[in-house]
Amino acid sequence: MKRRTFLRGTAAGLAVLSPLGRTFGVPPREAPWWLVPMDDAQTDHLKAYGVVFRLLERGGQGEWFLNYRGGAFLVPADSTTTRDAQLAGVTLEPLAERELLDIRAEIAEANMDAVPLEKAPKVAVYAPPNAPPWDDAVTMALQYAGITFEKVWDQDVLSDAIRRYDWLHLHHEDFTGQYSKFFLNYAGTAWLADMVDRNQRMMRQLGFPTVPALKRAVAQAIRAYVDQGGFLFAMCTATETIDLALASADVDIAANYADGNPMDPNASAKMDWTQALAFRDARLVLSPTVSQFSDIDGHQVNAPALRQPLGSYTLFSFSAKIDPVATMLVQNHRQVIPDFYGLTTSFTRHTLKPSLTVLAEEAGTPWVKYIHGEQGQGTWTFFGGHDPEDPQHQIGDAPTDLSLHPHSPGYRLILNNVLFPAAKKRELKT
Amino acid sequence: MAPVWRIKTCGQPVPRHLVLSVLLTSSLVGTLPAQEAAVARAFELERRGKYAEAADAYRLVLLTHATDVPALLGMERSLLPLGRSADILPPVRAALALDSTLTVAHGIGVRAWAELGQLDSLKALVERWVRVEPNDDAPYREWGRAALLQRDRGAARAAYHLGRERLGRPTALAAELAQLAMLEGKYGEAAREWVHAVVDLPGYRSAAQSALGKAPAKARPEILEALNAARAPVGRELAAGLQAEWGEPLAGLQLLERNLPRGADAEVHAYRQFLEQIRAQQGDEAKQVRARILEAIAQRTAGPQNARLRLEAARSFAESGDAAAARRMLAGLAEDEAAPPDLAAGATLTLIKILAAEGKLAEAEQRLARHQDGLSGEDVANAWRDLAVRWIDAGNLDRAEAAVAHDQSVEGLAVAGKVRLFRGDLRGAFERLQAAGPFAGSREDAAERTALLALIQPIRADSLPALGQGLSALERGDTATALRALVEVAERLPLGAGGAEVYLLAGRVEAARGRTDQAERLFRLADNADALATAPAAELELARLLVGLERVDEAIELLEHLIITYSGSALVPQARRLLDAVRGAVPRT
Repeated sequence: MKRRTFLRGTAAGLAVLSPLGRTFGVPPREAPWWLVPMDDAQTDHLKAYGVVFRLLERGGQGEWFLNYRGGAFLVPADSTTTRDAQLAGVTLEPLAERELLDIRAEIAEANMDAVPLEKAPKVAVYAPPNAPPWDDAVTMALQYAGITFEKVWDQDVLSDAIRRYDWLHLHHEDFTGQYSKFFLNYAGTAWLADMVDRNQRMMRQLGFPTVPALKRAVAQAIRAYVDQGGFLFAMCTATETIDLALASADVDIAANYADGNPMDPNASAKMDWTQALAFRDARLVLSPTVSQFSDIDGHQVNAPALRQPLGSYTLFSFSAKIDPVATMLVQNHRQVIPDFYGLTTSFTRHTLKPSLTVLAEEAGTPWVKYIHGEQGQGTWTFFGGHDPEDPQHQIGDAPTDLSLHPHSPGYRLILNNVLFPAAKKRELKT
Repeated sequence: MAPVWRIKTCGQPVPRHLVLSVLLTSSLVGTLPAQEAAVARAFELERRGKYAEAADAYRLVLLTHATDVPALLGMERSLLPLGRSADILPPVRAALALDSTLTVAHGIGVRAWAELGQLDSLKALVERWVRVEPNDDAPYREWGRAALLQRDRGAARAAYHLGRERLGRPTALAAELAQLAMLEGKYGEAAREWVHAVVDLPGYRSAAQSALGKAPAKARPEILEALNAARAPVGRELAAGLQAEWGEPLAGLQLLERNLPRGADAEVHAYRQFLEQIRAQQGDEAKQVRARILEAIAQRTAGPQNARLRLEAARSFAESGDAAAARRMLAGLAEDEAAPPDLAAGATLTLIKILAAEGKLAEAEQRLARHQDGLSGEDVANAWRDLAVRWIDAGNLDRAEAAVAHDQSVEGLAVAGKVRLFRGDLRGAFERLQAAGPFAGSREDAAERTALLALIQPIRADSLPALGQGLSALERGDTATALRALVEVAERLPLGAGGAEVYLLAGRVEAARGRTDQAERLFRLADNADALATAPAAELELARLLVGLERVDEAIELLEHLIITYSGSALVPQARRLLDAVRGAVPRT
């Protein structure tokens, strides 16, 4: 072998082996694009969403390659995006026009699609002003990915200030106004006293007779927000209780300690499920002393006699070209994901409205994990459970450090929801 | 819809398949296994979340076996999530009609009435139960528990006091009243009730200790006062344990010793219980208290066990820094020819450690040399290495080197490497530290060796006594001398050939001393493009310093520079993590 041939071969080999050659640095002149792989080649799946989000915030545009390499993104190889990805530790792969053409051809022929991403959604998180002694998976995911958001609470919702936002997240709120039924186990704790005090002050400030009445009005305002085109994402107990609040417009479903009156003993029969987003025909739990709202949740983590063990949930596959919204919401590098508890962990099948789309289920069980539906001009997505990387989160536990879980498939589902409102609307067929 | 047969089962229709199931089961001559099988089937339905079917299945079992306790409890559980607690009452009545002493049925009835808010019916049922079991406290306990489930503490308290009065026992239901008092923040009362509870049933002791131990700090004096005022000795025992738990083990021990029960066995038992309570506590006071307890137990124990306890006490005294007491414990043990060999060896080693800790290194060496034939090879090697480290700390490198001269283990090489380094023999140090590898000593030791290797590797000279002197001073804790020497060495070395590394080390020392200005200056000197391996480490240290000084923007700029400029550095993940932390992307740890 000639020395020149040997050197050339060695250099090529080193270039292939070197991570730098495949990830960071200024792309060659013929490679004006970066591919952000979202399969196992990605070093930080969660921060990749932040890189794309910030690109859109700067007025840039990208594409989401649905079902291609775990839901990869195409971004321009400008210096700002390159630097941002490098700082975040996100893997980028240089893409020449010819390679991009090959990918587009592959996408055209398979169950894949390329969805343009054109505008960063304005994100709001519904949360009380104080810091409750539990973490919020969405807030943590947004902070870790570096996605800007603002916090809103009851007065913002009722004053229509939420209409300034494209995307609204609800987490642990109990929209039945019963403080998550924590009264029995946590009576006397400072954080519960603070929660009660804040809610009652807000109730008086906004002129409502009881906290349950205030929360019901907030739930109705949120539904109106969705009706007019908002994107709603909810986790944990907010999923179940917002529907209970919406369906109970003329029924007292709050315990005596919350509004001064016992629950209506025939509440289950009087619920108007046409007002709810996702559920129907649920049976309410009347006892104020049982930490359970209804039979919507399949796992009942705080009802020892009913508590079900955790399994794994499986994401459904959808037709990317026909059903891009559902496809966007399930983009992941894992299809089977370990389950995690929340005050509401899952959704029993018999309480689901037939019009909604099940995005993930635990096969062979009477419950599903992840659902999506339309309401007016907007959409809602409910994801059961509290923290995808802390299967049994306890009150007072330290918040999850997402730098230890940069590949979390559960957190990816949350971030899919944040990014999907950025997709160009005309492409959405669902 | 499944066909329903209207048979009378407490007024509720029952699905046909369940009736058939039970009839078939009954036809198998109604044996006990068949009854159990029916309950198991009902339980399976319950487990699958089919509560309505499970409740029906349990009810059918109760039709033929009205006093079946698992079926009664299962039906109660199944009805709860259905919001149909009232449905349990007919089976309860049927069970009690057959067996009026069936405690479980009474309890279920009480809970059901409480759930329904029917307090008059609840009271009537309790009174009926009391008539059947007039000397039992269970009716009042269930009554109180049901009231608590309804968050009615007043009713619960009334139930417990009524029970105490009627039963004629002033300590009845003490554990229940103690827990109630804890819930209400009445800690003095809780303490008094817990004493009653433990006197009645000593098994409550750990529950009492645990419950009272969680009381807020401001309630502690009230609890201790109540416990010390109690007539029963158990009050003081609980108080002693709580004082230890709350971080005052010596005060706890003094209290215990003022109130020891009579008799050697009882004393030893009390000491051992106290010892268990403080076993996990750290700190010199806890070690001293442990040693004193072991000594006290040893004084009350004869035979070989006595010697072992003294040795254990000596070790604890030595760990707590009380060399005199440790010597007192060891007196005679090391030379005692009648003592078991392992005991004598343990005593010798402990004594050598005490001597070394007192700075009597020559005496410790002499004793080790005299007794090493009676010790295991590993113990001897460890003892010589410990002495070598002590000699290094004392600044006597010749004696240190001599102590490990024949030790070819990786641990011995590690110590010898440090001796060479402090002499300024960089080549010799490098060879020995590298040969010691990553497995000698603790993880911290291994990390320190790696840092030393990184420090001397870029330096081209084989010998640099000034650096050795600086590092030796640092080892002895003389940071002022060390810094002077290190900075002088760094100024003489090229930055790309060890100067930057030495500046970095000096900067770390200054940062540890809290002299942030000096640290920043030295880190900036170490951050030089000629020293590519050192510059990212210097930037990371500087960023940490700036974060500590709340100069966050500068820290962010520096971290971004590190990540972008030295993207292949092994420190990039740490830099990203720090960047995440200062930006609030991850929780601060």
